[in-house]
Amino acid sequence: MLFQVEGLVSGYGKIDVVRSLSLHVDEGEHVGLFGPNGHGKTTLLRTVSGLIPAKAGKVRFRGEDISNLDARLIVERGLIHVPQGNQLFPQMTVQENLTLGAYVRRSDSRKASNFEKVFALFPRLQERRAQQARTLSGGERQMLSIGVGLMGMPELLLLDEPSVGLAPLIKEELARAIAEIAATGVSMIVVDQDVELLLGICDRLYLIEKGAVSLETADVSQVDQAEILEMYFGKVT
Amino acid sequence: MTWINERLNIRYAIWALGIVIFLAIPHVVDDKLLMHLAILGMLYAIVASNWDLTLGYAGVFNFAHLAFFGIGAYTSGILAVKLDISPWLGIPCGALSAALASVIVSIPAIRLRGIYVALLTFACSQLVLLLLLSQPLITGGQQGLTGVPQLQIGDFRFRESRFAHFYLVGLLLLCSTIFLRRLVTSDFGLSLIALRDFEEYAVARGIPLARQRLLAFLLSSIFPGLAGGVYAHFLIVASPDIFGFSLTTLLLSMVLVGGVATIYGPVIVGVVMTYVSELMASSAWMSDVFGISRGPVRFMFVAVLIVLTMRFFPQGVWGLVKQFSARVRSSQKDAPEEPAQMR
Amino acid sequence: MTLEALVAIIAGALVSGSLYALMASGLSLVWGTVRMFNFAHGALVMVGAYSAWYVSNRGGIAKALQPIGKSIVASSEDSGALGSLLLPLGEWILSIKGGFGLALGVPFAILCCGLVGYIMYVLLVKPFVGKPGADLIVIITTIAGASFMQNGVQVIFGPRYKQLDRILKGPPLQILETAIGLQEVLIIILTPLTLFLLHLFLKHSKLGLAIRAVAQNDDFAHLVGINVSQIYPLTFVVSSILAGLCGVMLGGLFFILPTMGAQELLFAFVVVVFGGLGSLPGTIVGAYVIGFIRESSAYIIDLYWAPVVLFATLIIVLIFRPRGLMGGEDS
Repeated sequence: MLFQVEGLVSGYGKIDVVRSLSLHVDEGEHVGLFGPNGHGKTTLLRTVSGLIPAKAGKVRFRGEDISNLDARLIVERGLIHVPQGNQLFPQMTVQENLTLGAYVRRSDSRKASNFEKVFALFPRLQERRAQQARTLSGGERQMLSIGVGLMGMPELLLLDEPSVGLAPLIKEELARAIAEIAATGVSMIVVDQDVELLLGICDRLYLIEKGAVSLETADVSQVDQAEILEMYFGKVT
Repeated sequence: MTWINERLNIRYAIWALGIVIFLAIPHVVDDKLLMHLAILGMLYAIVASNWDLTLGYAGVFNFAHLAFFGIGAYTSGILAVKLDISPWLGIPCGALSAALASVIVSIPAIRLRGIYVALLTFACSQLVLLLLLSQPLITGGQQGLTGVPQLQIGDFRFRESRFAHFYLVGLLLLCSTIFLRRLVTSDFGLSLIALRDFEEYAVARGIPLARQRLLAFLLSSIFPGLAGGVYAHFLIVASPDIFGFSLTTLLLSMVLVGGVATIYGPVIVGVVMTYVSELMASSAWMSDVFGISRGPVRFMFVAVLIVLTMRFFPQGVWGLVKQFSARVRSSQKDAPEEPAQMR
Repeated sequence: MTLEALVAIIAGALVSGSLYALMASGLSLVWGTVRMFNFAHGALVMVGAYSAWYVSNRGGIAKALQPIGKSIVASSEDSGALGSLLLPLGEWILSIKGGFGLALGVPFAILCCGLVGYIMYVLLVKPFVGKPGADLIVIITTIAGASFMQNGVQVIFGPRYKQLDRILKGPPLQILETAIGLQEVLIIILTPLTLFLLHLFLKHSKLGLAIRAVAQNDDFAHLVGINVSQIYPLTFVVSSILAGLCGVMLGGLFFILPTMGAQELLFAFVVVVFGGLGSLPGTIVGAYVIGFIRESSAYIIDLYWAPVVLFATLIIVLIFRPRGLMGGEDS
């Protein structure tokens, strides 16, 4: 097993947002998380990547407990968190943002070839490489955000709401790119509201509610997709 | 509720006892240096406790506070030296010009937030200094204004008396402390605290932010202005050192070590700190131990003290006292008080 | 106004603008990255000047070494074989009566300031990072730090002023009938060069990029694996070195005193508020603008009223642009 979260509790101040959450990702697997807003998906990712401390529980990566490790040490292990697209270095160029993506030692030496890979995946970033990040469109920012993550040579990529707020056309483009990344064998956790997008990419889905896993699907290819949609929306209404 | 009456009685008794002891001090203590330091300490205590109004209660970093003190000193001094105006008129004039300066500073300052207030007020105080230094014919420039006349009533000269300065400054400190305590427990004081702790909410509830902050600046400048005037006539000199980093640090330490938003803390620690730092400067062991000039060393100690206080006792001495007494009282079944904290 | 006067004003503006730019860019860098304001920045200017003086001047380390040199020479005479080794050492020490010169003094000053900046970060800033009200607490602790350094230097070197050698010696340059000292010319040339080096460092080095990254988005900086807790002290060191360079230049123009730097700090404050905290280009432009306002008002109105004109400018700027003339979205 590549990655495992066991009974994780975390939150801000005295308030727990993630309440005893457990899930796992196998080597090469792509897992989707969905569920209503404010129920701890982003907090889960922030805890896993070391931005906020875990109050209880364990996070294991390749069998090693990485909970409450320094964020940079987690990045150094190849677990890379791509936050929503508004989290960039706004007054830096696309090129500089990507360069910083390869800041850690493990990816520093492979910078040049990774640049090529990212530009092949997102040709638009190449066109805009000298432009400041804050001048990019929403979709381009999202691409850049993912690009920065790829520069760090992820073994497990955590994508936080890649499709949020995007126009359908751009969403499709992005979904294709993510599927392409998935096809290279990188393991992934994708958080998104758009279940259809997740179904196109992921092998398994978790429904997260009130800070814990409330539903876990089997292999998506074995399940009727309409059934999952119904489960989710049926539950909400 | 007889115990309330009891507590009030105890309170009055403490005050009465304090005043008697205070009045007796100059007749008992026969040490010139000690008396000198007591007077200086009370003057600094006035400045420090008034600083607590803006720093502690309003939560505004006014680094022009010592300029109010300096302006008071220079105004009264210049009026006396150059225009031969009686100090008894000059000292209130000093307070008036300090108040005027506080309004001038606060007009841009109330529009700003956090760090920018500190920058602006610091710049203001240094500009006052530059102006003073630029007019050496009037202010005495770098050497300071010398030959400031001492206080006297008729033929009675304050400097020749053992108790006159002591009583005068003591009275000033008493008035200032009562004034400040009344102020911070009044609706005005509460509105300042509300603005400090929950600015948006307080403003939404109709507390006029700009007016209250301006008032805080203004009210905190009057007693330092008066104290500045007395200071100049007491030391018969007004020196530009008032505006330096060293005195700022010393007075800041009184507010912080005493405990912000307490008034009493800076008053008490102001007197004590003056003693400690001046004794440090004049005692022989300092030079024996360090083999160096002593004056600057005390300011180094004060600086270290400030950093240690900020790090380990951010609520200051009075905060600790309050915390302790709250714990004692809460064990006697009474609501515990929140200790004041540096925000 | 004569052409002569104009040249004098411009030259003066470039000199003071340079000094302000060196100081203010350090302040701005620290503010932009650590979100703290260093009130001891002026004291670092003073430390830079004193440390350069100590190494370069004959009244400094050279004077302190003389007795040591003498005793080495004396002891070499009766220590046989070892003496032949000690003798040249002692004689060498005795020969540096005039000090080591600025060639060693300036690097030493840079080293000293960097070190002091680091120590300052560890003692005065680091314990408060991330606590509520930290920016205001750090004002207090750095003021205490400034007082500590000022008084400390007075204890070590005494209250009497010192003067640094001028880096270039020679007759002043004549530009359009206006005499401009060589030291001034050097400052005018070296400062933009230094700032350009700073720009290159921030733009193209890995650490410089990391500093800017932390300044712009420290959450994301964590996520790309930057060791944010190392970037903070680094920023302090860089900013302290800039202050030290300013001190070396200032020390060649004016007297060195324990209280020097306070006035420059004041003008640097005006500059950063004017240019907008945290914006380096804004700060540098602001520095030269303030330098020009100061020099021209000193010439047209009066030297002593120049600060008042500046101050009035500052207040007007703050009333209409509370975040500085060029301060943008930064909060």
